[in-house]
Parts: sequence; structure tokens; C-alpha cells
Amino acid sequence: MLPIIRFDQVSVTAHDKTLLAHISFTLFAGDKTVLCGKSGSGKSSVLRTLLGLHPLKSGMVYFQETPLTPASVQNIRSCAAYIGQEPILGADSVREALLLPFQFKIHRGHQPTEDQLIEVLQRLQLPKDILKQNCKRISGGEKQRIALARGLLLGKKLYLLDEVTSALDADSKQVVFDVFSDPQLTVLSVAHDPEWLERCDIVFELEAGRLTEVRRHGNP
Amino acid sequence: METLDIKLPQMALLYGLCLLPWLLLWLIGLRLSRDIGVGILRMSIQLALVGIYLKTLFDLNNPWLNGLWILAMLLVADFSILRRAGLKVRYFVLPTFIAIAFSILLSTAYLVILVIQPAHFYDARYIVPLAGMILGNCLQGNVIALERFYSALRKNENEYTTFLMLGATRWEAVRPYFREAVKAAINPTIAGMATMGLVSLPGMMTGQILGGSEPWLAVKYQIAIMICIFTSATLASIINLKLSLAIAFNAFDVLRDEVIEKS
Repeated sequence: MLPIIRFDQVSVTAHDKTLLAHISFTLFAGDKTVLCGKSGSGKSSVLRTLLGLHPLKSGMVYFQETPLTPASVQNIRSCAAYIGQEPILGADSVREALLLPFQFKIHRGHQPTEDQLIEVLQRLQLPKDILKQNCKRISGGEKQRIALARGLLLGKKLYLLDEVTSALDADSKQVVFDVFSDPQLTVLSVAHDPEWLERCDIVFELEAGRLTEVRRHGNP
Repeated sequence: METLDIKLPQMALLYGLCLLPWLLLWLIGLRLSRDIGVGILRMSIQLALVGIYLKTLFDLNNPWLNGLWILAMLLVADFSILRRAGLKVRYFVLPTFIAIAFSILLSTAYLVILVIQPAHFYDARYIVPLAGMILGNCLQGNVIALERFYSALRKNENEYTTFLMLGATRWEAVRPYFREAVKAAINPTIAGMATMGLVSLPGMMTGQILGGSEPWLAVKYQIAIMICIFTSATLASIINLKLSLAIAFNAFDVLRDEVIEKS
């Protein structure tokens, strides 16, 4: 099986500060991975580098064994869903937020039906009348689930999650765990939540931009 | 109808009028004597120099000299736009020049050659003041467009990145900020046109009336200049922003820090 993501001796600097130093790891489809470490250890930088948001100083990032270049970056960006602590929905209403990506050329013509919208909301235990709500008036946890719903509607298979369970209550967290238990979905996450760590099968420990430890345990 | 001359003693009397606001400012405790003095002196010297070179340009009425003068105005405007918009001159000097030169030359040529139709299209009496007026207004529009666009992009960097992550191309991701910046750039011109003549008499029209023109003729010129200002400000803002996109981002669509002037 070919790796889905491969970091090969990746070093990244920004404003003369080392963000990542000689990071190497490989992820395969279906892997559930978590990056751990203190604040500033480079966890979020791994996600940003994978998305082409940090220029590489040395080494190479591969997505589906294709080197990350200006010409190929659109490929990973359209295949991966990035969900941060306080996701930006980029629209006024929840419905507009869910349909936003379908305005872009790459997804045009694949707009979900009303039934598909409701189905994905139900899967994430969100009421269907949330569609009418203003994005500014919904909670952080709801925003995270709407961002996740958007990824599911786009049929994304790779999820880059930055502290995604931080604003969720126990029930919502369980819903998110259930979604990511799908063996087809690959997850590269940043988290401190012990429950989340337990459910991931690979834990990368980072310190000052270096990968110091890799732990593998059973499947979630 | 001749315009009455203002003789030197009367000019001196005019400067004397400034004593009134100066005295009032002094009484309320605002010590602005130096700023007022420098402002009035600079205005007088700069306008005296304008008078000298305009007189020379009008007397010589040479197409090359007129063209050279417009080129100099464009270059000064180019640098001024970028400095005021907080962008580094060395990166954007060419796109801004192309945008303003194209828009100004197009609207001035349209106005002079097709509408006014003087004996010689290069007549300094027409092209120099008209190009200058259009450029002055276009400059303000371009400063607003560039400043608004790049500050919105920096402020909403996470939103812009989210759009990219959702599959947007660079153009699709910047489009909301692009539209807002163009709107902000042309709104003052649109608002100015909508209230023209109601709130105040426009400067060019007043100047023409004082210069002895019939009010109807002054009105027609004012309409012509406003249409050209609107056209060139819109064109220049859009072209300038669009051309700047190729320079302001790296190959991965990330805004380059080094193109923005540190505040």
C-alpha cells in the first residue's frame, strides 16, 4: 500500500525561527494519528506545512507519493479538510457555510441535496433548523461540527484536526469519535485530550520542532 | 469676459485673513503657528512653481514636453500610491504604473480626442490640467483599493486560508476582499457624483466660471471630467489589484510578508 502522507527530513523556518527540524514520518490511508507536545513544539506547523502554508527549508513533503509543489498543492488542499479550534465558516448562515465550497470551480456541480444536508447534520447530532442560524450565534462546538459536516459533504478522506474536541461536550465528542472510527478516513490531529489520544493508533511526540517519540497502539 | 486680476497688495491682504484663525487657535491654547506657517509657505511656493511650469508648457505647447510632463505626473502618483497604501515600492512599482498609465491615458485621450476635439490633441491647455485632475482622483481610489485589500487579507488570513482549504483557487479565495476594496475605492466618486451641485459647487466648474466661461459650458466640462474620473478610478483600481496579485503571493498562494511595508 502506498503512503498517503510522507514527510522526508522536513525542516521549516519562519522569521529565523526553527519551526520544524528534520521531521520524517509516513501515514497510510486509514491511520489515526495525533501530534503531541508543548505549546510551540511545532504541532500546528506540521499541519500547515502539509497544506503548503510554510515554505520548506529542506526535505520534502509527499502527498500520495507526489512531491508538494505549487502545481500539486491544490490536490492536497482539495482532498484534505482542515478543522481548527475555532473554525472559520466564511459565511453568514450555516446553510451558506455548508454550501460555500460548492461555489468554487473544483466542486461546482456537486452541490448536495437538501436531504444530504439534513442527513449529515443528523449524523453529527445537529438539529436541522441550525441551517437558518447565523454563524456568529452558534457555539464553538457547533462550529467545529459544521466544519466537519462540510468536510463530509465534500467527501474528504483526509482530516487535519487542530484541537478539534476542545470545545465539545461528552456527547458531541462521542459523535466525532464515531465519525472518525470509519476506517476509510485518515486523521492527522493535534490534541491534548487524553480520550482522543487513546483512540488514535499513532502518537507523535514533538519537542522544539523535532520528532522525539513515535508510539503505536491498537486501532480506535 | 476677463477674470479680474488679484494684485500683490491684495494678495498680501489675503494672507492677512489667516491671522484670524491663527489668533483663535492661539486663544484656545493650540500652538500651531509653525504648522500653519509651513503649510501656507509650502502651498504658496508649490503653486508658484506650478504657475511657472504651466505657463512654460502652455507657451511651448510641445507634444513631447507635454507627454514628458504626464509621464512625470504618473511616476510621482505611482510612488505616492504605494507609500500611502503601505506597500513596498520596489515590488509594485510596475503594476501600479501600468494600471494608472493605462486608465489615465485611455480616459484623457477619449475625452480630448473624441469629446472636446481641440485642433491639436496634445494641446497643453487641455491635456495637462485634465490628465492632472483625473490622475489626482485616481490616485486616491488606488490608495484606498490597495490599502483596504491588503489590510483585509492580513486581518482575515485564517478565513482566506480556509477558502483555499475548501478548494478555492487564489482568485476565488481573494475575491470577497477584492470586491470590498474596489467598492471602497469607487464609493467616494459615486457619492461625489450623486451630491454634485447640491452640497457644493465643484472646483473645476467654479474655476471655469471665475475664468469667464458660460455656466452651461462649465457644467458640461464638469460632467465630462466626473465621468472620466469614475472610469479611470474604477479601471485603475481593478487592474492594479489584479496585477498586484501575481507579486504579493508566493507560489503556494501565501501572502508574502516582505511585500508589505512594516508599520
